[in-house]
Amino acid sequence: MEELKCYMPKTLKEALEIKAKVDVIPLAGGSDLMVSHKRTMGLTPVFEKPVMIIRNLPELKRIYRNDKGECCIGAGCTSEEIAENTLCPWHLRQAASRMGAIGLRNSATIAGNIANASPKGDTPGPLYLLDARVKLSSVRGDREELVSDFIVKFRQIDLQPDELITEIIVPYSEDDFDYIFWHKVGTRKANAISKITVSQAIKFNKDDTVADYRVSATATGAKTNRSRDVENIIIGKKITPELTEQVIEAFDKVISPRAMPEFRREATRRMIRRFLSESAKRPKGKVIDTYEGYSVTGAPTPRS
Amino acid sequence: MVACDISKAVRRVDAVSKSEGTIKYVSDYSFDDCLWGRLVRSGIPRGKIKAIHLPDLPEGYRFVTYKDIPEGGHNYLHMIATDWKCFAEDEVRYVGETIGILVGPDRTKVEDLKQKIVIDYEEMTPAVTIDEGLECKGGAFVNSDNIHCRLSLNVGDVDAAFKKAAKIVTETVETGFQEHVYLETNGACCIPEGDHYVVYASAQCPFYIAKSISPLLNLTPDKVIVRQTTTGGAFGGKEHFPDVVCGPLLVAAYVMKKGVKMFFDREEDIENSVKRHPSKVVFKTGLDKDGNIIAMDSTVCYNVGGYLASSFVVLQRGCFHVTGCYSFPNIRSVGLGVATNTFPSCAFRGFGAPQTLFAVETHLCHLAEMQGLDPLEYKRRYFIKQGDTTSTNGKVVERVMIPEMLEQVMKASDYERKAREYKWGSGRGIGISFYNHGGAFTGNGEQAIIKARCQLHKSANGDVEILCSQTEMGQGFHTILPKIAAHVLEIPMEKVIFKDPDTSRVPDSGPTAASRSTMIVGELVEKAANLMKPRYDKEEDFTVETHYEHPEGFPWDQSTFQGYAYLGYGWGVCAVEVEVDPCTAEITTKGIWSSHDCGHLIDERIVHGQVNGGVIQGLGWGSTEVMQNIGGHFKQTSMSDYIIPTSMDFPKQGVYFVENPYQWGPFGAKGMGELVFNGSAAAYIDAVSKAIGKRISSIPLPTEEVMTYMLHGTDLKSELQEVR
Repeated sequence: MEELKCYMPKTLKEALEIKAKVDVIPLAGGSDLMVSHKRTMGLTPVFEKPVMIIRNLPELKRIYRNDKGECCIGAGCTSEEIAENTLCPWHLRQAASRMGAIGLRNSATIAGNIANASPKGDTPGPLYLLDARVKLSSVRGDREELVSDFIVKFRQIDLQPDELITEIIVPYSEDDFDYIFWHKVGTRKANAISKITVSQAIKFNKDDTVADYRVSATATGAKTNRSRDVENIIIGKKITPELTEQVIEAFDKVISPRAMPEFRREATRRMIRRFLSESAKRPKGKVIDTYEGYSVTGAPTPRS
Repeated sequence: MVACDISKAVRRVDAVSKSEGTIKYVSDYSFDDCLWGRLVRSGIPRGKIKAIHLPDLPEGYRFVTYKDIPEGGHNYLHMIATDWKCFAEDEVRYVGETIGILVGPDRTKVEDLKQKIVIDYEEMTPAVTIDEGLECKGGAFVNSDNIHCRLSLNVGDVDAAFKKAAKIVTETVETGFQEHVYLETNGACCIPEGDHYVVYASAQCPFYIAKSISPLLNLTPDKVIVRQTTTGGAFGGKEHFPDVVCGPLLVAAYVMKKGVKMFFDREEDIENSVKRHPSKVVFKTGLDKDGNIIAMDSTVCYNVGGYLASSFVVLQRGCFHVTGCYSFPNIRSVGLGVATNTFPSCAFRGFGAPQTLFAVETHLCHLAEMQGLDPLEYKRRYFIKQGDTTSTNGKVVERVMIPEMLEQVMKASDYERKAREYKWGSGRGIGISFYNHGGAFTGNGEQAIIKARCQLHKSANGDVEILCSQTEMGQGFHTILPKIAAHVLEIPMEKVIFKDPDTSRVPDSGPTAASRSTMIVGELVEKAANLMKPRYDKEEDFTVETHYEHPEGFPWDQSTFQGYAYLGYGWGVCAVEVEVDPCTAEITTKGIWSSHDCGHLIDERIVHGQVNGGVIQGLGWGSTEVMQNIGGHFKQTSMSDYIIPTSMDFPKQGVYFVENPYQWGPFGAKGMGELVFNGSAAAYIDAVSKAIGKRISSIPLPTEEVMTYMLHGTDLKSELQEVR
């Protein structure tokens, strides 16, 4: 049986030193890597490179606000830890709470969800929406990059060989908006992969013009889609049916779903139309969903 | 009568060991000096094998093929038909067809070597769908027309009725593949012992395995002893399929003179195992001027796959159920088992009946809706009753309680109000379906083919052992059968022993299939217990035996399919209420209510569990369980892309029963394991159709398909296509 070389650093510093010297595969939750490397029943997975287990590095497990008030989430935080922590923005908590099944949520980490650069990943949608950044650390120091730039394309990230993702910094939260929307159409009601997920947020000025509007869509192309140009169509103006349709048509040109294109395009159009038309009515409450009384049967509610 | 308390739930005898995880499954067994096996399969759907390139095999490793079958042995698996080969020879008919089995002592080494085997093929154009099979795409490969099997049924005079019809309309209803997704994947071990072999297998029908694989080595079935191991779910997927697993193991064990074992992981199991037959049913229905049905003609096509195996019987059951719970004056049905280059289809809960029941329910809905009627109003005109003629010119022997069951379901679901208030296309809908399932083997199968035998043995200590070949696969039979015996004998259930069968020590009481175990074998145990009872206190150590006797006066002709196909049907009514998301087309099921007649219940909780599971499994088949076959390859091969429902997908069900004791069943019980699957998909599709106001005539129906119907579907009120 082939031997697998495995590093288990105790501190982040140690991990970064290993990463600087050895070409290792960092493994935190393992929920992607163990599956993609598995062989048939009863056999040990085969990794082409040594593995560095960073699951329990204390530096990667913190969730806190920095001095600018931004939410900082350690790269090793699991979906469940994020779903349960009200410091984390609402959109992200929603996405984290509907990712996979509870066993997976207790294992899968946010950095892994970003690093696998899957167009169907659950957390990138909210992270794009809220201008989140990744903090990339190496023995050379730290740098930060927008998540939307860090994910270059399908299965490709802008990570240097000696770097580790160490933190995700989210500058915005639901407090910055008047109305928020997050809706995942999964393959089923729970333990599901996204068929399409749309995240939206809007803030109004006193004169009813739109101060800020954002929309991102997941599983609609090679990577998560968001376009400030599209959002700018309605920012500074009052919501009208005509402008709404302009936003819808412009966003439709941004997305490029390959499988089930009609469904994904139509559902996206309808969710944007619904959110803009509903928020223009300035209803009570903050959360707008696809229709009145929408409920995911028995889906887990994030504890707060 | 004591019968009233047998329904009271008891704790299942396997509840603790299965919850604790202490029970042993086949992959938990270990044998000294046992080899690991790994199947090498066809990677193409159709073609000729030109060459097999093996890596250098170290000592102790061997690639076993059809060439290793000894002289006098037969390279086939005997599953009703004998066309399914154990090992492909020069021709392959489907992706996943067994070419050989690689065996050796080290599991990892076997896997590494397997990866290095290269097979050269001369590829041919495959036929994958029913239509491609019928068109003989790539040339016929079964008979001259790619038809594995066919049958026709005729009641009354359809052609004469069509001449009188004001209108004849046609509609095609289709259903897809369904994967069983038993919790425990397939696996088995085969150990040589003296002049015989012992097979340990996760399986429904141990005697089937012995019969099926013993000809490989030209042995009599008694030389292949099959011991069923604890079986973690089956649903029909372990009725004949274990033969495909055990056959190569037997040949390998013969060649190597050592035990060989093999277990599939989930992906291997999904990609390379049998599925429910996809179906296409074409109706031609004659209506009079008031829209009443005067004749119904149907062509029932099932996608059988590369080999016939057991599919003719599945097709028969499909055709026999094509008139559902209704009595129509003139009926004609032609069944065609179509050869395609897909993995052979096989048994799956319902055994051919769900496809035609879905078809007839859906067709009746559309006949009603084009006339502006609620389907329930229309369907109730045709409910079949005791004494009415069946699709095979037999009569319904028992009382049919559909009106009473409908009453229960309507009341519980508030059907009438909802059907009135939820306008078609309003985003909400409630649907209802009616279904049945003929209990036990069709026609004379029980007395002519199975000839079930069962024994009860009393030991000196007062323990009573049930000896029969029935298997526990999660359905609760280890509880049901001892409960029947204990109840008759008036002894505690703990005194009744019922072990996983070993074919060398139990009589053959037939397969655990066809909803026959409680109804037929339960009855044999009840009779045996009644024979034992007067002797129980007097004698220390003795055995009683019973065998199946068919009630007189219910003839069946298997050559013409005429007569009494089933003496006792289970009956069901199911209502489903849904809501559709106007933005995303997601369907949320708001309520499920069902009533079933399965005679007298042997154990309420077990029956309740079967209803819950069967109804949800049917809803999965109708909604999310998409299994595509693209170019001969199954596309969905893991639990994350083959979407079975979770407990969060459907709400708590309203479960109701009617009391209608069956005169030839133990304590009045009938079969019910398959019945509970048969109807929920039709009710769901009826509800969704109404909610979106569009006609839906094929399943499964994932969210994106709902959106397609919302955007481009045909209005419910539009006329079905007319033909002459």
